[in-house]
Amino acid sequence: MTAATATTAAFAAVRLIGSSPLKLKPPSTLLSFRGNLGSSLPMRISSIRRARFSTIPKISATISVGDKLPDATLSYFDASDDLQTVKISEITANKKTILVAVPGAFTPTCSQKHLPGFVEKAADLKAKGIDTIACISVNDAFVMKAWKEDLKIGDEVLLLSDGNGHFTKAIGCELDLSDKPVGLGVRSRRYAMLVEDGVVKILNLEEGGAFNVSSAEDLLNAI
Amino acid sequence: MAPIAVGDVIPDGTLAYFDTEDQLQSVSIHSLIAGKKAVLFAVPGAFTPTCSLKHVPGFVEKSPELKSKGVQEVICISVNDPFVMKAWAKTFPENEHVKFLADGSGVYTKALGLELDLSEKGLGIRSKRFALLVDDLKVTVANIEAGGEFTVSSAEDILKAL
Repeated sequence: MTAATATTAAFAAVRLIGSSPLKLKPPSTLLSFRGNLGSSLPMRISSIRRARFSTIPKISATISVGDKLPDATLSYFDASDDLQTVKISEITANKKTILVAVPGAFTPTCSQKHLPGFVEKAADLKAKGIDTIACISVNDAFVMKAWKEDLKIGDEVLLLSDGNGHFTKAIGCELDLSDKPVGLGVRSRRYAMLVEDGVVKILNLEEGGAFNVSSAEDLLNAI
Repeated sequence: MAPIAVGDVIPDGTLAYFDTEDQLQSVSIHSLIAGKKAVLFAVPGAFTPTCSLKHVPGFVEKSPELKSKGVQEVICISVNDPFVMKAWAKTFPENEHVKFLADGSGVYTKALGLELDLSEKGLGIRSKRFALLVDDLKVTVANIEAGGEFTVSSAEDILKAL
């Protein structure tokens, strides 16, 4: 079985749960109870959902246009080969940023089409006012660095590691490939988004790892 | 799982790799090494410094000598996906005998009891560095590092034990 077939099977499953994001509001009874404990307690919708709706299958609240991106820490190796961390807020605050995500470094579509497209169109995108283009994957920073070198990418696109998948999970874009023999674990769905001052303005999110709407050209046309 | 030890029968498990025609294959450890003398060594991560600059090169260099002493398979395992393992293997063009196998979801590493939690470094659960000498599925040498250090698990250490 080829990797493409393996991931296609997983995409079909993701399509079932990924297509209608549900945004749940905390029930008012719980709100008043927590009110007694002080308004400084953050209301985490995900934890309330777990407590009250444990019999409902888990539905990720996938990011959408108009949302503010949650903050998270990503990592990369700088030009001096030192490991650096950077927050989503740092690369998106007061800027126009493009975030591109791929299911896996060194995988065919990601390496041959998706990422190279953004490297090629980087100058055009920057001419349209984009400050930063970053590619994110659930791979560690060592692998991202090796992939960047393999594709001979310079400063055009930042390659950032979401090593533990925290950012990917926080925006509800996980792609669970754990039970596939190809052994990819939980990765990110493919997407390309335009973020302005931390708010999602354009979101081209694929089903799994398909490559239909998330290319550099698609984004260039939309900006 | 208790860590694998000398005298144990090595558990079976399925690992993945890309063959010479770029087709994804999976292989069972038992089918690969039953009835043979084999070296199984593991690294915490493909493309990481010690693994790339010392551990793997040592085995690439010493594998002819290991073969002359009766070792039929030299296998490198990492908790990385097979795409990454394939790209990493390409960085050792002089390699003739070492097989790079992917334990992408870490299932086999857990079966050996040799997980290494590197979540704080953004690497998730990986494998400890180790080198095992296995004779017809029975572990005869188990050189396991506490984490990712490189003190007992080199090719030379295995050669000395043969």
